Amino acid sequence: MAKRGGKLVMEQVQKRYHKTVALHPTSLDIEPGEFFSLIGPSGSGKTTLLGTVAGFVPPTGGRIEMDGVNLAMLPPYQRNIGMVFQNYALFPHMSVFDNVAFPLRLRKLGVAAVEERTRKMLATVRLPDFGHRMPSQLSGGQQQRVALARAAVYGPRMLLMDEPLGALDKNLREELQYEIKAFHRQIDATVLYVTHDQEEAATMSDRLAIMNAGRIVQHGTPRHLYEHPTNAFVASFLGTANLIAVIGKPESGEAEVRVPTANAGLLKAINTIGQGAMSEASVICVRPESIRIETGEQAKVCANSNRMAGKILDATYTAGTFRYQVQVGTETEAPVAVRLPSVRQSDMLPRGTNVSLVWPASATLLIRKD
Amino acid sequence: MWLPAAFIGVFFVGPIIAVAVRSFFDPAPGFGNYAEVLFSGIYLQVIWNTLGTALIVTFLCLLIAYPLAYVMAKAKGSMLAVMTSIVVVSLWTSVVIRSYAWMVIFQRRGVLNNLLTSTGLTDGAINFLPGAIAVNVGMVHIMLPFMVLPILSNMRSIDTSLLTAASVMGANPWLSFYKVFLPLSFPGISAGSALVFMMSLGFFVTPALLGGPRHLMVAVLIEQQANRMLNWGMASALATVLLLITVVLYLLYLRVVRYAGGGAQYGR
Amino acid sequence: MDADTATWLPIRYRASNKLLVLLAWLILLFLITPQFVIVPLSFSSEAYLSFPPAGWSTKWYGSFANSPDWGRAAINSLAIGLPTALLSMILGTMASLAVSRGGITRQSLVAALMVAPMMLPHIILAIGLYPIMLWFKLLTSYAGVIIAHTVVGIPLVFITVNSALSRHSGSLELAAMTLGAGPWQSFWKVTFPLIRPGILIGGILAFASSFDELMLALFLTGVGTQTLPRLIWLQMNDYLTPTIAAAASLIFLVTLGLLVAVSILQTRSGAEKANAHG
Repeated sequence: MAKRGGKLVMEQVQKRYHKTVALHPTSLDIEPGEFFSLIGPSGSGKTTLLGTVAGFVPPTGGRIEMDGVNLAMLPPYQRNIGMVFQNYALFPHMSVFDNVAFPLRLRKLGVAAVEERTRKMLATVRLPDFGHRMPSQLSGGQQQRVALARAAVYGPRMLLMDEPLGALDKNLREELQYEIKAFHRQIDATVLYVTHDQEEAATMSDRLAIMNAGRIVQHGTPRHLYEHPTNAFVASFLGTANLIAVIGKPESGEAEVRVPTANAGLLKAINTIGQGAMSEASVICVRPESIRIETGEQAKVCANSNRMAGKILDATYTAGTFRYQVQVGTETEAPVAVRLPSVRQSDMLPRGTNVSLVWPASATLLIRKD
Repeated sequence: MWLPAAFIGVFFVGPIIAVAVRSFFDPAPGFGNYAEVLFSGIYLQVIWNTLGTALIVTFLCLLIAYPLAYVMAKAKGSMLAVMTSIVVVSLWTSVVIRSYAWMVIFQRRGVLNNLLTSTGLTDGAINFLPGAIAVNVGMVHIMLPFMVLPILSNMRSIDTSLLTAASVMGANPWLSFYKVFLPLSFPGISAGSALVFMMSLGFFVTPALLGGPRHLMVAVLIEQQANRMLNWGMASALATVLLLITVVLYLLYLRVVRYAGGGAQYGR
Repeated sequence: MDADTATWLPIRYRASNKLLVLLAWLILLFLITPQFVIVPLSFSSEAYLSFPPAGWSTKWYGSFANSPDWGRAAINSLAIGLPTALLSMILGTMASLAVSRGGITRQSLVAALMVAPMMLPHIILAIGLYPIMLWFKLLTSYAGVIIAHTVVGIPLVFITVNSALSRHSGSLELAAMTLGAGPWQSFWKVTFPLIRPGILIGGILAFASSFDELMLALFLTGVGTQTLPRLIWLQMNDYLTPTIAAAASLIFLVTLGLLVAVSILQTRSGAEKANAHG
């Protein structure tokens, strides 16, 4: 079923404040009906980018088009875009009903139409009897749902969300993530979602873009970004990444590392990601769940796997998973994180055990440092 | 924004500049007026008197306001409401009315003298008016709320857990007041003192009514020069001096208020 | 932690706390009494307040009511105070909006300038405005003193509206804009309802300050347009009859009434504002 919603095209959009560049020339296409997230640390430019789409931040360069219409000429109140804010921004002097009806009344819809659409929207966010209440009487989660209702009631083609769940505690956040996703399925709109929480973005989005220092570093589906990060920043931003420094230039699928390995200081890395990974500034990335732990005698070096010796520094158990921190090489090296489902091993290995870490060469990613 | 700015520019900044300019041109161009101020002695004496009175008033206000603010800061509920309304009513009662009230009290046949003679504390009526005591008492009375409010606001924002921490570490209540609370109340003290001092300098009504020719303050002098002696040049010069001192104090006050997190409340 | 209810506190601390409270009440008594001296005086039958009063009479109120001078002064005070309040509300709110939401550079400088008229002695402004009003031929007219009082009233509105604005975040207006409200609509439907109490309180304060103001009125009004404070002042310099006390008591009552109005407004807008300031 084809989704309706706005198609957003951004070309070389940039924002500069006097001497500081908040946003380097950035281009991005968002497909109709997509749930697209922008993630990144504070100051990465994601809120600025959102602001250019909303109309609060006039870009100093570039083009923004929604469904072919150039947005640069339009002030925020003519763009027909919906927006949800982190602090909900519900009008405190109006009831819940009046808040949601506000945009409809602005558009001079008839009283009956306003009544019907508002009620329907309140039912969609599962707050059908809350119309007469004031925002101050609602909990955080309820307020956010009203904000959602208000932003979508007039059928905008695009919904912007600026860290809407940032003010909520963990459980509430998870509940509302599910609700927002369900909401998205019910309405015909494209969603552009900004958050610093990568887990949240990964669970909710069709695609996402990681930003850092005013640039989009990489974009794609959550899985693609996790399994094929272009650089160390992306790798460590999504989930946990074990990063092993590479000495010199990798050659023909092998990289020399400082940490002693079973293969005389070399690791087989056949999975090269991105251009420039074969250059001087590269690093090896291995995900914790790809690593197996072996105790006992040293086995032979296999053609398709990498092996490293280490000692267990710390071992914890969390909800069905063993998490180990293993010291490899000298003490100055960062420990390697390993994650194993507890069904595989009956006992958790204690501290101080000497182990071998084994993982397939295909899970060894050679990526750029930056 | 431009409308209010233009308004203030024309009707506030403009006149002030005009005053300063005039001080240099009336009756004759040059520093004549200022020379007279500095060297003729009378004017200088008035300025000193003003400064001195302002200092005394500020000091007395501080002494009286601090304990009141302290009690109010810890008060709650209806007691707080009553106390607050008394302070507020005092604040907003017209200065003219309050000064008149003090005139009535200090009159030769007024309340105070009646009380003193009838209880036998003095033999005859004392001439409070015109006099320095009356002026000082009157001004303290009027300025008191302006000192109380900034100090109170500051005190309310002091974190009581600091005092708790101090007592856990072994400080008795006197010590934790002296070493913790008092220093933390300095921003309020400074803001209030600056405010009261500034206002006392330019004060007119009370000194005019309760003080005599021997206790002239600058504002009264300016009015005399302008209205009665029509010596506008001198009036402008004196006003400019007053202006300069006040501006300096205002800037200091802004500094303090900013460091106090803007906690000081403005009076009238 | 309330020191006087802690039972482990030695007696002398508790006693000194009680003494402090007593001292506070004495100070408050000092604050409030002088005003109330006037009221008995206005009812006394002779020209001096003696204790206990010699006799009671309302002749001073009678003389006040019958005097054309006092009547005209009262009307003048109103005729000047109300426009002052209105102008101050408009200009003060404009300035406050511009400073809080308009993204002006050097906000604190502009804010300080806006508040300055309140801090500087009125005498300076008075002798500064006199020649200007003379030049504009506005001397002894209503307009001149209304302008002067507005200059002094704007800071009051500015402060109260600022305080109201700062309590609601700017994202409310942003939200209104994304929902389709233009700048004017967003102001009327979102900002204005929220700052309305602040504006009103500021206006009342501006009126009160104009009603009580002496210095500017002294210089800028004439016999026909003089305000109550000016008349009181002139009378006080010539003869001290308790008619002044009657007038003063009435002004006091008006001020009290205004204050009550302000506190009702304040409690209705719900916020925890300190004392009378917005």
